[in-house]
Amino acid sequence: MKRLFVSMLLVAAATACFAADELAVGASAPKFSLVNAVDGKTVAGPGAGKLSVVIFTCNQCPYAKAFEPRIIELARQYQPKGVVFYAIDPNDDVKYAIESLGEMKSRAVEKGYTFPYLKDGDSAIARAYGARVTPHVYVVDGGGTVRYRGYVDDSAKPAERRTTGLTNALDDLLAGKAVSNQATRAFGCTIKWVPSS
Amino acid sequence: MRRAAALLLLFAASASAANLRDVKDPKKIAAFFPPAAKLRVVNIWATWCVPCVAEMPQLKAVDAAFGPELALAGVSMDDMIPETTREKVVTFLDRQKVSYINLYYSGNADDLTDFYRFDGEIPVTIAFNRAGKELWRHQGPIDSANTIAELRKLLRRMQ
Repeated sequence: MKRLFVSMLLVAAATACFAADELAVGASAPKFSLVNAVDGKTVAGPGAGKLSVVIFTCNQCPYAKAFEPRIIELARQYQPKGVVFYAIDPNDDVKYAIESLGEMKSRAVEKGYTFPYLKDGDSAIARAYGARVTPHVYVVDGGGTVRYRGYVDDSAKPAERRTTGLTNALDDLLAGKAVSNQATRAFGCTIKWVPSS
Repeated sequence: MRRAAALLLLFAASASAANLRDVKDPKKIAAFFPPAAKLRVVNIWATWCVPCVAEMPQLKAVDAAFGPELALAGVSMDDMIPETTREKVVTFLDRQKVSYINLYYSGNADDLTDFYRFDGEIPVTIAFNRAGKELWRHQGPIDSANTIAELRKLLRRMQ
């Protein structure tokens, strides 16, 4: 009996560790106030009363870059429906110059981002969300609650796409329904963390 | 002269160190290990993954430290990027002089992360016994000395 109890405690501890790692669906989304690389202005989010998409992405990751056209396409499709998109680059720009504000601005302008490209200069927001990779997506409802986390789609190749995690979540929420697939496993490049002081 | 050039090209082609096979179904990866290997180590990586590339010399050192009792297989996730080619992986493996088995995975990323139950970050290295039971796992780049020690410990326990 004692052994069973210890095993249950271990399982609970392991589960708790995992849940603490990545922000759980149902948790309150951390607020952020970050500089938009495009115009240098500070953007606060996620916006109250708005359905928001928070995407951790970057300039250097080929997998993130492969999803970039898709994210731009989805922003153009869902922004008119009132959805707010935030792209956040949490990578260390001291170690990787390609992640600097200047490089971010160049990329956003060249690709025609219709949403702010924000610099998480100390990776603190990515840590608060428990993001691990780029791209890593969170959908936050108007009340500030995480309603979806994970990937954009299960494949960067349109022909091989089977599950569209982000659009599925947005469509469900816009229709006033519960999200049918609330959590998927984001895949991509490890975030290049700014060392925590 | 032309024949000499052709022979040179043939030699260059046969000098390729890469041992790259193709796989689309994660369940079929285990079949690529030689039967003699008691301990089977899978390393999931990609040429576009900075820490994976940095890890490569450590993996080569692990491979060199063991005989047929252990087999290492790299599983490349390069194909997840639309513009990547198989040839790019061959060239990379040749340049790095990697001779252990590598598999060019062309299935779905989600299927692979699900099959090996990793959280989407690469590299990840996992050791299995012949029956496919997971014995050890390391998330992130390995250190060859620590990994060799861990794997030797596992092999001793298997005797």
